[in-house]
Amino acid sequence: MAVGHGDSSSSDKKPTDALNDLQTFNAENLQSNMKVIYYSRTFLSIIGGVIAGILGFNGVIGIVFYFLVMAVTSAALAAKAKFSVHSYFDSWNRILLDGFFGGLMSFVLFWTFAYDIVHIF
Amino acid sequence: MGLGFTVGVIGVLILGHAAYSTIQYRSLLKITEEEFSGPPMEVVLELLVGLLFCMWAALTVPGKFLSVHPHSDENRVVSLPENVDFMIFNHRGRAFSSEVGLKLKH
Repeated sequence: MAVGHGDSSSSDKKPTDALNDLQTFNAENLQSNMKVIYYSRTFLSIIGGVIAGILGFNGVIGIVFYFLVMAVTSAALAAKAKFSVHSYFDSWNRILLDGFFGGLMSFVLFWTFAYDIVHIF
Repeated sequence: MGLGFTVGVIGVLILGHAAYSTIQYRSLLKITEEEFSGPPMEVVLELLVGLLFCMWAALTVPGKFLSVHPHSDENRVVSLPENVDFMIFNHRGRAFSSEVGLKLKH
């Protein structure tokens, strides 16, 4: 017996069957997960920028440091999702690449900021 | 949430202390007129510890991951309609045999 039309707005309205189960998903939870990733990456980009400035990195080595920090962040986020990415996101690209370039801007900003404070003034 | 936030603040304070130590180290180098090749080993260790604290805070403070499956157990859309008082069950449907143990479907 099916219940009457008590749909809430949190799931998609497309019909599902067991085969294409992941074509529709709970969009509200997906958005919440994306926000979590965004906050984590932004905060760690800022912290990475401050550390790169304190250590006195000057050129390409700083960008390499940023890639290193982002790689560790991606690994840590994958571990937080217990490596079963498909139960929290719709593709691997979300957890690996999202927020990468926005984080780069914040990284460079705080890198120059910290470098100036520590090494120039 | 509170613990993660505190750990994050401690991590940032450690980084600030490392920055201050590096500034002092640089002024010392200016006095002895040597080149700045890198902060001292203690500062590097301090930065590593600060980074670990901040990383832990960045992973726990924003919140948990919620499951995206529409049919998982924690995503069940179960809601009673508000007009429960108007629902009657003493109708002809009694004549049909019903399966026991059906889950509510969308």
